[in-house]
Amino acid sequence: MTHAPNEAAAAVSRAGAGKAKVDRATDPRRPRLRLEAFFDAGSVELISPEDDSGMLAAVGTVGGVRVTAFASDATIMGGAMGIAGCRVVVDAYERALADETPIVGLWHSGGARLPEGVGSLHAVGEIFAIQTRASGVIPQISIVLGAAAGGAAYGPALTDLVILAPEGRIFVTGPDVVRSVTGEAVDALRLGGPEPHGRRSGVVHYIADSEADALATGGVMCRLLADQGELDVAAVTDVDLERSFPESHKRAYDVHPVITDLLDDGAETVEVHAKWAPNMVTQLGRLGGRTVGVVANNPMKLGGCLDSPSAEKAARFVRMCDAFGVPLIVLVDVPGYLPGVGQEWDGVVRRGAKLLHAFAEAVVPRVTLVTRKTYGGAYIAMNSRSLGATKVFAWPDAHVAVMGSVAAIRILHRRRLAEVAPDEVAAVEEELAAEHDRLSGGLPRAVEIGVVDEVIEPSSSRSKLAQAIAEAPQRRGRHNNIPL
Amino acid sequence: MSHRIASDLVANVIGISVAVGDRVEVGAEIALLESMKMEIPVLTEEAGTVIEVKVHLGDVVQEGDVLAIVE
Repeated sequence: MTHAPNEAAAAVSRAGAGKAKVDRATDPRRPRLRLEAFFDAGSVELISPEDDSGMLAAVGTVGGVRVTAFASDATIMGGAMGIAGCRVVVDAYERALADETPIVGLWHSGGARLPEGVGSLHAVGEIFAIQTRASGVIPQISIVLGAAAGGAAYGPALTDLVILAPEGRIFVTGPDVVRSVTGEAVDALRLGGPEPHGRRSGVVHYIADSEADALATGGVMCRLLADQGELDVAAVTDVDLERSFPESHKRAYDVHPVITDLLDDGAETVEVHAKWAPNMVTQLGRLGGRTVGVVANNPMKLGGCLDSPSAEKAARFVRMCDAFGVPLIVLVDVPGYLPGVGQEWDGVVRRGAKLLHAFAEAVVPRVTLVTRKTYGGAYIAMNSRSLGATKVFAWPDAHVAVMGSVAAIRILHRRRLAEVAPDEVAAVEEELAAEHDRLSGGLPRAVEIGVVDEVIEPSSSRSKLAQAIAEAPQRRGRHNNIPL
Repeated sequence: MSHRIASDLVANVIGISVAVGDRVEVGAEIALLESMKMEIPVLTEEAGTVIEVKVHLGDVVQEGDVLAIVE
């Protein structure tokens, strides 16, 4: 990605200092203009006064769906949040909770208002408290359009989905403080812009390529979560889901085209956390007209292994979907957990446990499809029968095992293989692996003991998945969505 | 601007798909790695000309090792 770092960073810091000579009536940062750009034309009804509180709230529709929203007023003190402005946000939350609408925050704020002292900190904390109370009850979406620092960084962070516009920056302490305390020279873009939050931190779920894209994507998320639709099984047509897989089972591939084939063609969809932990794909879309969440291993990245960030990413997505009653489809092609000292020290045990917990507690319909292979601990984590999957399907050539058969016989027959002449090792290994497959049973055994419900064809998978979701009780988890 | 294409993980280099001087488009395969029982193609995220290939067939690369540089 290429940027002009210094210019953008300077613009952000200037915005906080009250850039001179911008006409307030036409300033594009005015909250009313931003709210009008977000809502359907003519649908905006303000629910707070247009004053100097630093926040403005409104109700309206977004693609026909009722939404409550609030916006920072970046034209006053860089959008800083005082007691009155925080009251506007809390009142908007009360309204959204009463009306059961999604709530969207358009953020552009340097944080708490300094002149109001600890009173403003208390007020910002009250926003956090009501955000937590609303967690898992109504969808909360944050669209960060400019700098969101300090308290204004944690506001978005407590919500379900965070969108970052190109001029958006999120950090707890800005570049000046970082420089004075640690001596690290960094600009706002590199500290908290789209690149670090898109790839490294996982703070942001969607990196927008313009402010308009940020607002439009917020609307897509509102519709997918608040207008989920009914699953019409008869409307689900089959395609060969295997058509974008390579011939060789060993060859890695990008799972995105498979998800595109799986979801309704032409329907709204959004991938969340696309660049962070890309070895796992999490995407909202529709199947048979109904909103579904897809969780898929992506063999193109890290071979599709599970690791700390990907487990955490999927766990949070699964809990969000469960909290809002969105059924899950889990596409499994996983060689195992990524081995390594770094992984263990990063807490892959603690962070991987989140995914086990998330799936095991989920009550939405959640259907698993094993396309190629599922091994070991990763087998369990990817919505296995043992964790309570609604249905587990597998394609005819799928491998379901503790590990690949060659790896298994190298452990089971270590001594015998050590005695084999070097030029015969490959042949002996192949023979032992075939024998191991016969004895351990592979897919037929998995079906026999009921951990795989049915072997299905790639060409009937869409309708099978849709049917399994439609037949399951449509339930919704009773829990919040802590930002894991 | 030069773009360094690195390995995401520990792997064996089982294929090198470009040579110095080659013109590559976004998404072109730079190398083929073997790890976790998988053959994993490494693609470039930037278009340009390959100015350096830093690995050989059979090398073992570590996470973060640069495979090639595209300018």
